[in-house]
Amino acid sequence: MKKILWLILIAIVPVATNAQDANQTISELINKMHGVKDYSVDALITSDIPMVKILPSKATIYFKQKDKFKIDSKGIAILPKQGFTDISKMLSQRDAYTAIFMGNEAIAGTNAEVISVFPVSDTSDLILAKLWIDASNDIVLKSQITTRSSGTVGIVYTYAAQKKWGLPDQLIFTVDVKKFKIPKGVATDINRTGTTDSTKPAAKTGEIKIDLTNYKVNLGIKDEVFTK
Amino acid sequence: MDTTEKMIEVNHLSKRFDSFEAVKDVSFTVNKGDVFGFLGPNGAGKSTTIRCMLSLITPTSGDVKLFGKFLASHRSEILKRVGCIIEKPDFYKYLSAERNLEIFARISGVDSNRKDIHRMLDFVGLNGREKHKVSGFSHGMKQRLGIAQSLLHNPDMIILDEPTTGLDPQGIIDIRNLILQLSREQNKTILLSSHQLSEIEIIANRMVIINRGVTVIEGEVAHLLNAQELIVRMEVNDVALTLSLLKEEFAQIIVQREEGNVLHFSVNRNHIPDLIKKCVARDILIYAIESKRKLEDYFIQMVTN
Amino acid sequence: MLIKSTLNEFIKIAAKPRSYLGLAAITVLVGVILFALKADGMSFISFVTASFEQTLTFEGNILNGNLVAFIVLQMLVIHIPLLVALVTGDLVSGEAAMGTIRMLATKPISRTKLLMSKFVAGGVYTLLIVIWLGIMAVFVGKVIFGSGDLMVLNSDGLVILQEADIGWRYIGGFAVAFLALLTVSSLSICLSCFSDNSIGPIVTTMAIIILFTIIGTLDVRVFDNVRPLLFTTHMASWRSFFEDPLPVAQIKESIVILVIHNIVLILISIFKFNRKDITS
Repeated sequence: MKKILWLILIAIVPVATNAQDANQTISELINKMHGVKDYSVDALITSDIPMVKILPSKATIYFKQKDKFKIDSKGIAILPKQGFTDISKMLSQRDAYTAIFMGNEAIAGTNAEVISVFPVSDTSDLILAKLWIDASNDIVLKSQITTRSSGTVGIVYTYAAQKKWGLPDQLIFTVDVKKFKIPKGVATDINRTGTTDSTKPAAKTGEIKIDLTNYKVNLGIKDEVFTK
Repeated sequence: MDTTEKMIEVNHLSKRFDSFEAVKDVSFTVNKGDVFGFLGPNGAGKSTTIRCMLSLITPTSGDVKLFGKFLASHRSEILKRVGCIIEKPDFYKYLSAERNLEIFARISGVDSNRKDIHRMLDFVGLNGREKHKVSGFSHGMKQRLGIAQSLLHNPDMIILDEPTTGLDPQGIIDIRNLILQLSREQNKTILLSSHQLSEIEIIANRMVIINRGVTVIEGEVAHLLNAQELIVRMEVNDVALTLSLLKEEFAQIIVQREEGNVLHFSVNRNHIPDLIKKCVARDILIYAIESKRKLEDYFIQMVTN
Repeated sequence: MLIKSTLNEFIKIAAKPRSYLGLAAITVLVGVILFALKADGMSFISFVTASFEQTLTFEGNILNGNLVAFIVLQMLVIHIPLLVALVTGDLVSGEAAMGTIRMLATKPISRTKLLMSKFVAGGVYTLLIVIWLGIMAVFVGKVIFGSGDLMVLNSDGLVILQEADIGWRYIGGFAVAFLALLTVSSLSICLSCFSDNSIGPIVTTMAIIILFTIIGTLDVRVFDNVRPLLFTTHMASWRSFFEDPLPVAQIKESIVILVIHNIVLILISIFKFNRKDITS
């Protein structure tokens, strides 16, 4: 009997410990995120998305706690719908999700904890978020967010000078493009005589790379910036 | 040797439109200084011939020479020296008289300035109307404007197709005087097609009559009208007695009509003295006798024969 | 004499009320489109970008003057030819109907020069129409909506062109659009040489454009060989300037086809006009 109890204890403790570790890791991650009150950064957005042709475009990104976010672009910039503030927003509501430790994985030579986040609510747009976190630096190295509306968005984070704030210098988004369709009869070429190549298989994903430079962290940003 | 300069030479001209032959064989010559009457009944081919002379229509066969040069090969050179009105003159209704003349002057090969245009409008009796739109012009005014545009480049020859159509009597007189002035004072050669035979008789020195696309007769007006056969109008006191005399003694005389006491008949001019003698011998009183070769009658005779 | 005759044609075109109808129509049509887009342009754009917006978001001034000008051009491509033909289709037959052709054809100017002056004047009028359209669409559009990158939806996807890269595209696009409309002008003048009334050539020109456009849009194999030769197929070539990469070969082909059309139509017109018996 005692032996069975010990066996059960031995089995549960790692699970309990791991769940506690996942929450711990996320708490530390959140704490680091909260260290940034506001920031502005210059972004160079390069897109490689099927059915969309766009040259690299420049923008300025503004953020202010707790959820003010704005992208200021002189020209047209295409950005993923999901992935910027979703993680911090999601993780801030502690009782809205369950975090489970899934193991470790090496990402670009760094050991990362793989944590899956499940929303508690059945009606949430978020279905699943998977995070690869460098626990020693409290930064996210990679994420995969699946939503009902946007499908799956994968993000790879690269850090440099702003690592201490947990702010990346490069983000690479991989977005789901299966649902892209060209509406007929609107703004389309009337007399095109050429034909499209239907032998090539249709692409399923596209990529958006954002290079972030010239961070200005915790220098104060007026609220008017987000309302103009 | 005839040294008269030939201004127009139409040689065996013909024009066929699909199955219809509008002109079959027309030939005539217009000399320098002529006021030349171009006559023919409706549908004779006058307008078609005139249009061929002005390169509006391409003849099926035959040729046209103006100023001694073939129209087909010297068109631009020739038309610089020709002014014309074809049927009713048509203008740009939405433009003023002045502007219309400017437009036609520009492509007539002359540099006409505003002064020249105003002078010409004055000449045709349209002074004060320079700025008025042609849409407000009467038929007579348009006719005058047509003459102005045909004269603006000082042509050597003027071709007028029915220039007095639709004009009032004063207008007709004005056109007649203008033509005479152009001929006598400026020595212009004029070809005139008209249904106003009395006008042609007054102003033309030479003429041609065509009928059914063919030349009927050509020559000097005075010569053609003073031929031996005359039309006589005689007013007598006793028409029956006169008719009886004519029947007995002058069987060759054809009485055309009787109007009360007036007889109209055609007679050889050599018989007239004898006719008068015999009327007097029979106590027939002659109140009036006129003998004249009227163009109208001559014309009708030519086209019906 | 050609220059003098062309000056005459300019005077006549400028004096006719219908010449201003085209310019007024463009002003009203473009005005209506600008008003509609100002009132609810974002809905129009959303319809175009709907399927992309499930995964992507578009930042920046999308509804700007460049896009508005593009939409205006797209919408008016069928209507502008009528406004051109309304004036150019009347250049020869209108003179016949009025009787003035008789007066013109007895002047020393050759019929070829007379006709060429009408082609030149018609071409200049067409250019004025295109320039006015450009001013209304691009300039006024930018005044109202500001400037920015241009988002174009082609049959193979979205193209977003940067603002600095758009100016020359519009110039090229308008140049090709002018060439296409010049073809319409030449066609209507050519038809005008065969008629003595004003309406016939105008209606016939539009009928031909509509017929050829229908042939061009019917996706059936029997028309495959004919379609590339129709001038209406190349009337939309101005759009090619807004593709990336620029389909240079396709644009060159369109230019060549349209130039050939113009030359052939002019030659037919000269032949017909020189042989025409003027009986009106």
